[in-house]
Amino acid sequence: MQIKKKTLRKFGTVSFFVLPALIIVITLIVAPLLMSMFNSLFSWNQMVRLDFIGFDNFKALFTKYPYQERFFNALKNNAQWFVMTMVIQNGFGLLFGYLLSRRIAGSEFFKRVFFLPVLFSIVAVGFLWGLYLSPNGLLNAILKATGKPEWQQAWLGNAKYANNALILVNIWRWVGFPSLVFLAAIDMVPVESIEASLLDGANSWQTFWKVIFPLIIPSLTIVFVLTIIGSLNVFEQVYCMTGLDGSPNFATDTIGTLFYRTAFGSVDAGNPEIGMGSAISVVIYLLTFCFSLISIVTTRSKEVEL
Amino acid sequence: MKRKVIAFVAAALLAVSSGSLFANGSAEAPATEQKVTELQLWTWRPEDVDFYNGLIKQFEAANPDIKVTQNAIKNTEYNTVLASSLSGGSGPDIFMGRAYGGLLTYVQSGYLEPMDKLYPEVKNYSKGALGGASDSDGNIWGLPAVGQTLCVYYNKKIFEENGITVPDTWDEFLADCKTLKAKGILPIANGTKDGWTVETLLGVIGPAFYGPDFFDDVVAGKTNFLDPRFIGAINKIHELTPYMPDMYTGISYTDMQTSFINEMSAMFLGGSYEASYFKTQNPDLDFDIFPIPGTKASDPKLVSVYADMNWVVNAASQHMDADKKFIKFLASKEVGQQIIDKLQMVPWTPGVDASSSPFISKVLELQKTSTPYLFLVGFRYQQPTGSSLWQAAGQGFMSGDLTAEQTAEQVQKGIASYYKPFQK
Amino acid sequence: MITDLRYRHASIGQKIFIICSIIVMSIYVVLIIYPIFNMFISSFKTTREILQHPFSMPSSYSFKNIRILWIDKHFGLYFANSFLITVVAMVFVLLFGSMASFGISRYTFKGNMLLYMIFLSGIMLPLKAAVIPLFMLIKKLNLVNNRLSCILIFTGMGLPSTVFILAGFMKSIPKELEYAGRIDGCSDVRIYWQIFMPLCASSIALVTIYNAVPIWNDFFFPLVFLQRDSIKTLPVGLSSFFGTNSTNWEMLFTGLSVAILPMIILYLFMSKYFIKGMTAGAVKS
Repeated sequence: MQIKKKTLRKFGTVSFFVLPALIIVITLIVAPLLMSMFNSLFSWNQMVRLDFIGFDNFKALFTKYPYQERFFNALKNNAQWFVMTMVIQNGFGLLFGYLLSRRIAGSEFFKRVFFLPVLFSIVAVGFLWGLYLSPNGLLNAILKATGKPEWQQAWLGNAKYANNALILVNIWRWVGFPSLVFLAAIDMVPVESIEASLLDGANSWQTFWKVIFPLIIPSLTIVFVLTIIGSLNVFEQVYCMTGLDGSPNFATDTIGTLFYRTAFGSVDAGNPEIGMGSAISVVIYLLTFCFSLISIVTTRSKEVEL
Repeated sequence: MKRKVIAFVAAALLAVSSGSLFANGSAEAPATEQKVTELQLWTWRPEDVDFYNGLIKQFEAANPDIKVTQNAIKNTEYNTVLASSLSGGSGPDIFMGRAYGGLLTYVQSGYLEPMDKLYPEVKNYSKGALGGASDSDGNIWGLPAVGQTLCVYYNKKIFEENGITVPDTWDEFLADCKTLKAKGILPIANGTKDGWTVETLLGVIGPAFYGPDFFDDVVAGKTNFLDPRFIGAINKIHELTPYMPDMYTGISYTDMQTSFINEMSAMFLGGSYEASYFKTQNPDLDFDIFPIPGTKASDPKLVSVYADMNWVVNAASQHMDADKKFIKFLASKEVGQQIIDKLQMVPWTPGVDASSSPFISKVLELQKTSTPYLFLVGFRYQQPTGSSLWQAAGQGFMSGDLTAEQTAEQVQKGIASYYKPFQK
Repeated sequence: MITDLRYRHASIGQKIFIICSIIVMSIYVVLIIYPIFNMFISSFKTTREILQHPFSMPSSYSFKNIRILWIDKHFGLYFANSFLITVVAMVFVLLFGSMASFGISRYTFKGNMLLYMIFLSGIMLPLKAAVIPLFMLIKKLNLVNNRLSCILIFTGMGLPSTVFILAGFMKSIPKELEYAGRIDGCSDVRIYWQIFMPLCASSIALVTIYNAVPIWNDFFFPLVFLQRDSIKTLPVGLSSFFGTNSTNWEMLFTGLSVAILPMIILYLFMSKYFIKGMTAGAVKS
């Protein structure tokens, strides 16, 4: 009896804390998303839903000519986004976060500046970096001035460099985020533990990996999962800088842009194919879900309880 | 203490805001005694808001019982916003509709009121205009608004200073480019970073080489895109690359416009819709247009033409009588005249006098020998559209990654995946 | 403090590391400051100037554009709408989000992981994908052309990542603090509000910025749901400078420069919560 009352009380407390957010998220986010995914099981005539066709849309996506080629090409570009963001952005994020937490000279200033690019609207980022990377832009001017005119490129118009250029601009924009996550996490590590390690004669490098790193693994999970989600949902950056078709010749196409132009159509790309578009969104969803889960499970097993 | 203050402020803010939220939420009640019908008008041309507000004022003066509210939505988001509103059973009463396939998607979804029912006189519009507004059974769904023509803009001053005249053959054209380049002037402003400008290139240059019959042949399936006429035409585009800017694959539409407007280049391959922006940005710019010539001087100088936009009425509109009046107003000659004078565009309105604008007169002159804009008119009905296939493949071709044959194949294969006449 | 990385007391290897790090960070600072500067000076230029000489200084300085923007183009009104929507949505996001994170991370119960995954699933796809069902939902709630529609959507968009990030941080708060609170007889609500919230100050600051910026800058949902001029938001107003064949860059940059200011102010205000010592000190005591 006593136990039952206690669980009931706990249930009440948890509900009090969780329910408001849960209701909003389920009705406004999860339900509409599921509803739109449901559309992937139907055939469509323009914007009118016709017959239930099961997984035919998925089959077409993976096997039929234009879809298959576009999809795997886009997926390859997303993979590139993922790898580069993971290595470069999160690597620098960890480094910056550590340096800031160790109060390196100027850290107060850096702390305030590093997050500023996130505050930019994507429109400004797209336009300004478009200018810097254009054939007559700043980057080429710098290359010319430093005696490397042969390195000049049409960065966003050349299929070899365009995707990398977009990713680097995105890293420029977002590197402040992992920096501050890691800073906040390292700040939560008790100072005594670090001091003890240093007084024991360990150097900074050893202290970082042996003492700090194990304690910030929860924040690592956060950053990893958000990177996975971010790189599978890339859209705005491509849309603003190289267009909905991921030009040139689909070199910067991602599953996000592929989804958008398939589901909603566009002036050039044609009329909406809602069933096919929804199928792509389901695939994005499943991919994100699986990778996030793997990331959560593997990092959780390494977590250290304080 | 501090926390309490914050909590208090937040609560107060919430109370105030939620109060005003609901107050403003319910539609602002029409306070007039006389019953006023309110029409919602949507356009995808934010740059022309003032123009349409001017038209609305004229209309309201003549119809005091109708109030028209304009909402201009960014072009690239227009379709999505419209589609979600229409499929949610609401949306504007009257709106700009695309032409050809882009219009039919709304027709087939049942969102449009037939135009020939609302405004029977629409049948008097030209064949070219109605091509973009009708379905395959000949029903008319939109009021054709403006048409576009693709051609070469040239800077008259630069041409005169360098002793160059409008070319009569393709070789003359290339020779002109060579002369300009030798004098250190960029002959052609165009780049290929934005896919749709690559389609424009084909639209300007292609017809002179694939000829007047190719469009009908390929649409009917008598030939396909592997036709030597088409491949030959693509190869001609590549002959211009020495006269385009350095690293033209990175030159965007905005870069192209900037270069021509600021007289940093002599020619711009584009559509008749450019003129008004050129003029507003640089009133001193003295430009004119010419069609790309063929191999021989006697070849017809063909230009690509297409219907750009239709006025359409939402089938779910509650104010059909008012809609009818507004459509009739949009179809009037006065509106057509203002489109010429203020927008510098070519209206489809029958019987409008274009003599007030030398530029429009010239465009109409070019239109006399024209062929439909290949992919937009013929192959924008299903995904992947001919346009998106060509834009991507064309970029690969212009950068040298694909040969003309590979480019044509990429287009052919994509269209053949759904186009019945190609599957035979 | 011994834990600080100070040049004076460093070994040679550390000195090189410190110098290299500072050089890298300074380069990044330049890469950040220049575009901001570029954006502000562009708001004084004409469209033609911006495109022809993007990197030069403006030929004249006048605040004419700001006046046109603020008064003639109704940006004063749009600004107020954006401000209202962002503030209310953020209050909801932070309050409900931190409550949910507390509930999920500090209580062990069946379905804990499931709840966590439900929240997580909300960030896995952009909500744009669901705009059509969302429109029908909002229409059923009779909220089309009502600012509440965007407030609710933005709250929903912000909650998943907030819960995800805050729950992660709350998990790493030592259990002893919670037990200490309970022994003192604190209720659950007080433990949440008086112990956990202050400890999470830096991560709450992070989440605030992480969510406020996209909400403030988003133009898609207001474009779909707020079609009357009197309730439009700043980014929707900005989008009207993008024409089909021409863009009004001078007004756009003026608008962008105005639009970024509240976010910079918010960020500078929030960044004081990142200052080391606050959280560490609290954990110690």
